[in-house]
Amino acid sequence: MEYNGGSVIAMVGKGCVAIGSDLRLGNQALTVATNFEKVFPVTDRIYIGMSGLATDVATLREQFRFRVNMYTIKEEREIEPESFAHLVSSTLYERRFGPYFIEPVMAGLWKTQAGEYKPYIAAADLIGCLNFAKDFVVAGTASEKLFGVAEGLWEPDLEPEDLFETISQTLLNGVDRDAYSGWGAVIHVILPDKVITRTLKGRMD
Amino acid sequence: MDHFPGNWGRLRNDDYDAYGTFPIPHRPSNAPKDTFSEGVQRTQQPIVTGTSVLAIKFKDGILMAADNLASYGSLARFKDVQRLRPVGDYTVIGAGGDMSDFQYIQSLLDDLVVEEFTSQDGHNLGPKEIHEYLSQVMYGRRTKINPLWNSILVGGLKDGQRFLAYVDLLGTTYSADTLATGYGAYIAQPLLRRAVEGRADTLTEEEAAKILEDCMRVLFYRDARSLNKYQIATITASGVSISDSKALETSWEFAEGIRGYGAQTQ
Amino acid sequence: MNPMNTASHPQQRQFNPYTENGGTILAIAGLDFSVIAGDTRQSEGYNIQTRYAPKVFRLTDRAVLAVNGFAADGNMFVKKVKQRLEWYRHAHAKDMPLHAIARLIQTMLYARRFFPYYVYNILGGIEDDGSGAVYSFDPVGSYERETCRAAGAAQSLVQPFLDNQIYFKNQQPALGTSHPAHLPLPQVLRLVIDSFTGATERHIEVGDGLEMFVVLAKGHDLAGLEGIAGLQEMSTKSDGERIFVIRRELKKD
Repeated sequence: MEYNGGSVIAMVGKGCVAIGSDLRLGNQALTVATNFEKVFPVTDRIYIGMSGLATDVATLREQFRFRVNMYTIKEEREIEPESFAHLVSSTLYERRFGPYFIEPVMAGLWKTQAGEYKPYIAAADLIGCLNFAKDFVVAGTASEKLFGVAEGLWEPDLEPEDLFETISQTLLNGVDRDAYSGWGAVIHVILPDKVITRTLKGRMD
Repeated sequence: MDHFPGNWGRLRNDDYDAYGTFPIPHRPSNAPKDTFSEGVQRTQQPIVTGTSVLAIKFKDGILMAADNLASYGSLARFKDVQRLRPVGDYTVIGAGGDMSDFQYIQSLLDDLVVEEFTSQDGHNLGPKEIHEYLSQVMYGRRTKINPLWNSILVGGLKDGQRFLAYVDLLGTTYSADTLATGYGAYIAQPLLRRAVEGRADTLTEEEAAKILEDCMRVLFYRDARSLNKYQIATITASGVSISDSKALETSWEFAEGIRGYGAQTQ
Repeated sequence: MNPMNTASHPQQRQFNPYTENGGTILAIAGLDFSVIAGDTRQSEGYNIQTRYAPKVFRLTDRAVLAVNGFAADGNMFVKKVKQRLEWYRHAHAKDMPLHAIARLIQTMLYARRFFPYYVYNILGGIEDDGSGAVYSFDPVGSYERETCRAAGAAQSLVQPFLDNQIYFKNQQPALGTSHPAHLPLPQVLRLVIDSFTGATERHIEVGDGLEMFVVLAKGHDLAGLEGIAGLQEMSTKSDGERIFVIRRELKKD
């Protein structure tokens, strides 16, 4: 996990979710890129963030794109966040004894029978052990720091703009104490009708 | 050997455990090589060892328990050893770990008690003072990389004040309403905490003795280096008393139905 | 040769004179006060040894020391610092100033450079000029005066939170305003409590109890301390600097 560095985080809000990552790509202590986003769209309302070995991040991004497309064709509908989380989990567990070195974080909105959208977040370890949290999930080289700040800043039922501020402050202050993460961040706030994406400036050291 | 009481008294090569009785992690030694090290012997390992000591606070004082076994590796070598000892008029100490180091500690304390007595200055050694003295001795020896390989409980009552504390070969100290050393820390401590926490000021001596007896029984069932013969020390305002050795009532009927426990027909 | 037979090359077992006893400490300096806090759990591995073992100690009426790491070293170190402060009192008929205690701690730690006290120290209190101060040390004596510092098991959880809430890192003040250099006491106490409840939630070695020492500069009013549950005064006189301790419960799981 320390080879390329990087961190991701996701948080639940009121009728919305947010997910974000830092922008650093390193070769151990040497920073080689400062525009390496680790969060990718899966559907209009599901995003996945991956921290860990960059080559595996790229591989799995394509792998997940392929499997989600197959799912969409076979089922003739879009995948729901919970199904996607299990798809991620089983994809990782397939490589139980020679794992991909990534820790995924997923965020999305799922449609209830009544037609309203409810937040869903999950994370997994590198062999696909899922963690469904009600509040926030973190991964990557700054995960301990992110846990500490998030535990202090997060509160239930945050409105989209407040959620954006909370996840941004958590991510920026967390990665600023981590040598392997930082150099700016990107945040996506997922709402039922749109996704707000903002790229943040951060400390460049 | 390391400082985890669970690993004590296992007299065997780290790399060779014929019966696979205990998982010992392999660690490399990064210590600097000393040409003359063979001529000096100090960092020892425990040889003849005692296992757990338990102690709790109750309404009128302290109760402490330890069995009478001193093991030589997996051999039950000495089965009538007293691991609870009175010190002065208000204190009992109970020791796990190396029994020869414990006897040395007793001789230190005997000297200390005599010295304090001869000064006749109106001060008497209480459990606090004895624990402080022991901590300094244990910490001093660890600092010389020549530890006394024990974990010791000190319990007592002086001037109406109950005292119960722990000290080990590293000089680590702490106190609580319930204490347990060795395997007791894993097996008995949870039971003691459930029975005692928040009730230390109301428990009667009979109730406290029952709690300790039950824990000693569980330890005898599960700790292979324990014995069903044990003593209980009571420290109250009326002084210190250490019971005669008692036998634990045990029942093995449950083993009948369990494969690997009782006699097997196939 | 039988691979199981290693008797031919006996390996040396080495006694390890150190262990790690968990827990976390934290100190924040205000303009004319200082807060020094620590949890009260002492553990070794997965064992909780006791739920109440203090890590924060009153040194003088204006200095408080928090120690974290190997508990036996910590207790011995505090004992030796207190002894040196008592000698200073006998020689000079006054308490040692805070900055001098800080330098004393550096020399005492560095004296053991090649067999260190395995302890992280945070010293908090009131400076001679009446300002609140925090000094933090590494185990061999490197030290620095700071506004806030966390150390111990949950340092990595707490310190970035403090960067954000005390130093206002990654925050911009509203137009025409600026961030305060020092926070008022009630807000500092709230941040300390939040830090420890957060650390307790996510770190197994933190919990059981919280002790917050508050050192107030000479002539400082109680600034909202009165009426706080579990407050106890620790100072020896009421006309100089004053020390209070606030005890709170933390989760025990």
